[in-house]
Amino acid sequence: MTWAALVHVVISGLATGSIYALMAISLVIIYNATRTLNFAQGEMLMVSTFVGWTALQVLDVPLVGALLVAVVASALLGFVLERVVIRHAISATHFDVLIITLGLSLMLRSAAGVAWTHDEFPFPSFFGNRPLVVGPVRVAPVSLGIIGASLALMLALGALFRWTRLGRAMRAVAQNQRAARLMGISVERVYSSSWVIASVVGAVAGVLIAPVIFLSSKMGLVAINGFTAAVLGGFGSMPGAVLGGMLLGVLENLAPLYLPASIKHSVPFLTMITILIVRPGGVLGRVARRKV
Amino acid sequence: MRHAALATGAAVVVGWPWAAPRYFVFLASLIAINAIVAIGLNLLSGYTNQLSFGHAGFLAIGAYAAAILTIRAPALPVPAALLLAGLVTAAVGLALGVPCLRLEGLYLAMATLAFGFVVVEAILNLDWLTRGNDGLRVPAARLGPWTLATDTARYYLVVTVAALLIVAAVNITRTRTGRALLAIRESEIAAQASGINLAAYKTLAFVVSAFYTGVAGGLFALVVGFLSPDSFDVFLSVDFVAMIIVGGLGSILGSVVGAALITTLNDSLAGFQNYRPLIFGAILIASMLFMPGGIARALGTIVRPARAAAPPEPPRQGEDR
Repeated sequence: MTWAALVHVVISGLATGSIYALMAISLVIIYNATRTLNFAQGEMLMVSTFVGWTALQVLDVPLVGALLVAVVASALLGFVLERVVIRHAISATHFDVLIITLGLSLMLRSAAGVAWTHDEFPFPSFFGNRPLVVGPVRVAPVSLGIIGASLALMLALGALFRWTRLGRAMRAVAQNQRAARLMGISVERVYSSSWVIASVVGAVAGVLIAPVIFLSSKMGLVAINGFTAAVLGGFGSMPGAVLGGMLLGVLENLAPLYLPASIKHSVPFLTMITILIVRPGGVLGRVARRKV
Repeated sequence: MRHAALATGAAVVVGWPWAAPRYFVFLASLIAINAIVAIGLNLLSGYTNQLSFGHAGFLAIGAYAAAILTIRAPALPVPAALLLAGLVTAAVGLALGVPCLRLEGLYLAMATLAFGFVVVEAILNLDWLTRGNDGLRVPAARLGPWTLATDTARYYLVVTVAALLIVAAVNITRTRTGRALLAIRESEIAAQASGINLAAYKTLAFVVSAFYTGVAGGLFALVVGFLSPDSFDVFLSVDFVAMIIVGGLGSILGSVVGAALITTLNDSLAGFQNYRPLIFGAILIASMLFMPGGIARALGTIVRPARAAAPPEPPRQGEDR
């Protein structure tokens, strides 16, 4: 295998990895606020991408308009779901909330199937198809575009967490909810904003990935790789989520070159089991010590 | 009262094949099989608070083990095949349970979910043994001089095994072991401080749970007669979790009721494939929001409101974390 082909594989791996990273980030945002895993994250991404696609078809808006529609729809969906369903289980165990989000994911997927059928639809891309040729290396513009857009979004999120009042409040709640409340932070508002921000990140990831994997009610399954990415990097850590996503994307693209091709679908799961057994806190994470 | 209820139940179960049409005999067998899985899962998730989203994987291992045994060794009597299927699955449970000791809550849920996917991929790839996507036809089981070829014969086999396993589970939960598992659920740290060997009991819960599910898998292979990897997808694991949620975490009776409800529901919604997950999800959410503790606790509060009849609540997670 030539190094040029290797570069190509790694770059497309980084592109899928960016999407996994975005999924992982949105899972981690919700986890940090409410300490629950949102099983419905992938389905929320799928529904908002479908809404954007409908705007594209029915209203004939440009692609940027579709992205905006998808983002607004997902923000609304995240807000409503948190407010109507999750908030009622605020004092419940992880297990309970996990089951609730699981129920949500089943409902959303089924509802999407009823509204848009279970077929696959092509989705237009922001980026062209003609490969960029740099010397012997050929790179798909889609890959570069996805990487660039994801990095931009990650930087924006980083800035939000670091420098805004809301970001500080979210970090405080992640560290210690009671202390944050005593400092006058509205924990409920942080819950709400976390769901909204996570949904928006999901919608952007959905619009970016839909041209590559097609738009379908099944595309929410990409969230499973997001889980793996988040676990890989240490659940709860943002830089870990990014690193985990990129690592997983590259691994998944490299594995079929050296191992039997049928292994590709098992890569995320085998990686996850291995990481959990060898280093349960993830590559960057620490295992939290609990005080009694 | 209690004895009367038990006797009526037993009479209905024994008389069922004469009263009901053939298809409902088959359905009742499925319910009994799912009840075994639900009890196994409840011993792990409800009693010991170790979530598992991978029980479809255990079921698949038990089913394929029993099927392959029946094909390769046709002379093997059914109880031996089922026992072996259970033991093979328990061994896998041990192999999965020991590394999973380091994990809790969310991580355990994800690891078991991944396990379920890996089992399906493994079945697809080991096609010299499992025939992969083509599926595996299971020959009729033999018990001494008889061949269990009718739905009724298989129903009695399933119900007998289920009854034995239910009695065993009830006894487990009443012993020192059962109390240790409950103590682990309430607080691992407190349990450890009381001298309970966490690692040993958690592993035990995993192994017993896998054994139950493996035996159920063997019965599933015999009753359904045809195995293919796509019958063991992640949604089946979700069904099992739904059974113990709706029925009641930490309740053997709840597991049986939950299995009966979810299996019947699945069957009656078979014609509405598109709406099935919608209704299913709504039921999951509603039972979590309005009926935590499941049907078992809801019944307990109706029948015996004054006494603390229902099993203790799982620990609530408050503000401090």
